[in-house]
Amino acid sequence: MNKPMRAVVKGMVAVSLVAGGATVALAHHSAAIFDASQTRVISGTVKKFDYSNPHTWVWLDVTNDQGQTETWGVEGMSPNYLNRRGWSRQTLKPGDKLSVTIRPMKDGQKAGMWISGKRPDGEVLLMNGEIKDKE
Amino acid sequence: MPLHRLIFAASLIVSQVAFAQDNAAPKKYKAPTAADWTALGKLPDFTGVWEIPLGGARAAAGRGGAPGRAGRGAMPAQPQLTPEYAAKAKETTAARAEDNQSANCLPPGLPAIMGQPYPVELLMTPGQLTIVIEAYTQVRHIYTDGRKFEDPDPSFNGSSTGHWEGDTLVVESVGFEQVPRGINFPYSEKMKITERFRLSDPETLNIETTITDPLALTQPYPLGNRVFKRHRSWTVAEYVCEENNRNFVDASGKAGINLANPTASPK
Repeated sequence: MNKPMRAVVKGMVAVSLVAGGATVALAHHSAAIFDASQTRVISGTVKKFDYSNPHTWVWLDVTNDQGQTETWGVEGMSPNYLNRRGWSRQTLKPGDKLSVTIRPMKDGQKAGMWISGKRPDGEVLLMNGEIKDKE
Repeated sequence: MPLHRLIFAASLIVSQVAFAQDNAAPKKYKAPTAADWTALGKLPDFTGVWEIPLGGARAAAGRGGAPGRAGRGAMPAQPQLTPEYAAKAKETTAARAEDNQSANCLPPGLPAIMGQPYPVELLMTPGQLTIVIEAYTQVRHIYTDGRKFEDPDPSFNGSSTGHWEGDTLVVESVGFEQVPRGINFPYSEKMKITERFRLSDPETLNIETTITDPLALTQPYPLGNRVFKRHRSWTVAEYVCEENNRNFVDASGKAGINLANPTASPK
């Protein structure tokens, strides 16, 4: 892909993120606990992927500043919603490395709402189910 | 049993039978004939799986500013409440909780249940439109056989009847439990929700929703037009909200999350 074309595609991703974000908040049946004004990136290894209703849960083992492993829970869209947009219960597997952008909890617990996840090869998994291939 | 008790018991049975006839079943169930099925085939074809496209739900429901205003001329931007219900609205606003019982997996009720980011499946049979709603595993039965609901028991989605006005199925629902249902004002047990179902083309279903309430509203409150797109290759899937629900709202209205035992959750 040539450079100008790639810039156009990136622009489209940014737009769809904004549009998707506004809508997807509706799809979370309870989003009151997450801080809609904040984002945070956590990086780690998938411990477990609950492909369950009403929300998927990605349990991520993250190494903190003291070198200890902490487990974070990230709430995502439902399997029903994601299935229709190309995901499956195999999309995330234990051992997968991920950097996940979340809306953190208002009360500081180790959890958040999934905004997007990025794999080491550059593949991005958006909250609205879109999967962007590595470039 | 003494005679007067016997008469009393018999009259109770008679009155209950009469009540059941008025309120639920048609006077006499009539099995559909081939002609009934043929007549059905001449109606607009609602049967199939439909979903409000991404971004559509919010646009259709409005942002609390001017629901339903787009292209429809002047409409009330806010519900026009009677003085009694305006006073109630002030109390409810003061005590607004962080979240509602949907966080605990109770279905939101009509009309919110028709605005979810999940598909619905419409099934037309003689005398009935059935709506299978994926979100919260809900089913609506809309009777088009001429029966009337006078004073049904209150429920989440109400009791619904429908009649055709040209190419539009007009669905009227009454009998509502006091649950959030996405309505931002206090409503009474006399509330009626009217939904006008119409195809603007074979792939697009419009549902225009209006609330009337003789006790709470001084004029009808239009909620706008929800636009559904047909998905011919989709099916409605299982959705058991209680399966792994970690969100909750407590009795005081405080929202929270349960992060215990991540490895114990199903699947």
